[in-house]
Amino acid sequence: MSDPATITETLTKDHRDCDRLLSAVSLQGRKTDWPRVVRETEAFRAAMERHFRFEEEVLFPPLEQVAPLAAGPTEMMRQHHGQIRVLLDDLAAAAAAAEAADYVGISETLHFLIQQHNAKEEGILYPLADRALAGQGADLAARLAEMD
Amino acid sequence: MIATDGLSLEQAPPLDLPLRLFLTAPLFAAAAGVLLLWQADVVLATRWSPAALAATHLLTVGFLGMVMVGASLQMLPVLVGAPVPAVRPVAGAVHMLLGIGATGLAAGLLGGGPWPLAIGAATAALGFGIAALGLLLALWRARRRGTGLRGFPLPMLALMVAVALGAMLTLALLGWLVLPRLLDWVNLHAAWGLFGWVGLLVLTVGVQVVPLFHVTPAYPVWVVRRLGPLLFLALLGLTLAALLPDSAGIPIAQLLGALLAAGFGAFAVLTLWLQAHGARARIDATLLHWWLAMAALLGAVGCWALGGSTELMGLLLLVGVGVGLPSGMLLKIVPFLCWFHLQSRQVALGRFDLRIPHMHRLLPERGARAQLALHAAALVFLLAGLLQPVFGRVGGALLALAALWLLALLVGSASRYRAAKRTLETTSAGTG
Repeated sequence: MSDPATITETLTKDHRDCDRLLSAVSLQGRKTDWPRVVRETEAFRAAMERHFRFEEEVLFPPLEQVAPLAAGPTEMMRQHHGQIRVLLDDLAAAAAAAEAADYVGISETLHFLIQQHNAKEEGILYPLADRALAGQGADLAARLAEMD
Repeated sequence: MIATDGLSLEQAPPLDLPLRLFLTAPLFAAAAGVLLLWQADVVLATRWSPAALAATHLLTVGFLGMVMVGASLQMLPVLVGAPVPAVRPVAGAVHMLLGIGATGLAAGLLGGGPWPLAIGAATAALGFGIAALGLLLALWRARRRGTGLRGFPLPMLALMVAVALGAMLTLALLGWLVLPRLLDWVNLHAAWGLFGWVGLLVLTVGVQVVPLFHVTPAYPVWVVRRLGPLLFLALLGLTLAALLPDSAGIPIAQLLGALLAAGFGAFAVLTLWLQAHGARARIDATLLHWWLAMAALLGAVGCWALGGSTELMGLLLLVGVGVGLPSGMLLKIVPFLCWFHLQSRQVALGRFDLRIPHMHRLLPERGARAQLALHAAALVFLLAGLLQPVFGRVGGALLALAALWLLALLVGSASRYRAAKRTLETTSAGTG
């Protein structure tokens, strides 16, 4: 049996899954199926929210306990989550209003913001968490799947 | 700034630093275009013509140098959590030195005499040296965490080799140094600059950003881990082969040349394949810039394999890849940075009642597509100019137009940013 997945592996994969949900939303000019865009946007937002809640409620608190120095970076990540949530709201609003140009522009801005944020987490914070939490890390990572 | 145990996750450098570099760079591409408009017949006839050498250095030192330094200052804190030390003086000095360097080198190579050449070479070398030192120092500090940009030092080292060889060539041109087999050294300088610095940089950055921004599957591990070092070794071998007698040196050089061509060709094919299989299928100006640049790279590989002219190869690599890819990148990175700094301001002021302009409002897509069209037309006409110089002149004019249009789009983005920032700040001051 393979080793249980680390925090880095599990959460990096979840990032990619979220990316794909956003990418899958397609607008087709006048033929755009807006109710569907609204549904897919909601599915993407729910996946992002699950990811954020896992980090903020499950991962960060024990990490801050065992590695007090990580409190700065985790606080920064929480701020990023706030910034991303603002854009997620804007995206949902553009979908609800069937504003194609705004939807595409916000979607791209959001995509860039998320990539910049993910790069910091995947390159720095998750490896730090795997080292600091050691064996506990894999148990925590497994709880992502249990979140709804 | 939050710094813990050398681990700093503070935001990117102040916006004006990369912007200063990004908004100056297109002027040098435009200058190269004007030079081609004026002397296309000479530039395209032989790469040894003074005008061709001048245009090449306007593009590499002025355009590519500034874009690369600006993008690196921005990316390193994000990808490895390592800010460049003393970023403000470093960025300011590099901006000025590369600007003077590109201008001096171009003027000197065009026949402006020994002093512009000497000053140009010295300032360009100093500018690149300071930039590389700052970037390598940042990477060194982050080495224990170094997951993000493992391959990044290699293009920087290649740049340093190209700069050192360039300095040597300058001394030889000025008559201060006797350099036998001068042409071999020129070829090595060009190889380290084009394949080592530009090529390895595109490779290193590409394997990182293409999967993220175009939501593609990852590159195979051997490409991510081994291809860069392998090609770097090939360049080292090429350099050593130049020191051997021709009977041994030439076959070795041909073999290593084939390795370089195959390596970059494989990267281009893989990139196109991954982008075709990416989840983010929206075809925009930047993705088209990638496709055009990878096609030009494959064209250069084909040209090498078929023994085509170095002028054709140079044009494909310098304009097709070296101008195209950074242009496509700037069309995204500048509006994103403007938006990012605006949103940070909005969060700091708590002004969520105001909507800030998203990327496409800062830099309209239609404008970006027009930029791509101008660039593509410039490349086509310049290639045709190899056969018929009058096409080369048109190509030069289009290259200048594409660069000036790029500049207009970037300036537009920056001024919309300033206007939105003023709105955020004045209304918040007005309402308390």
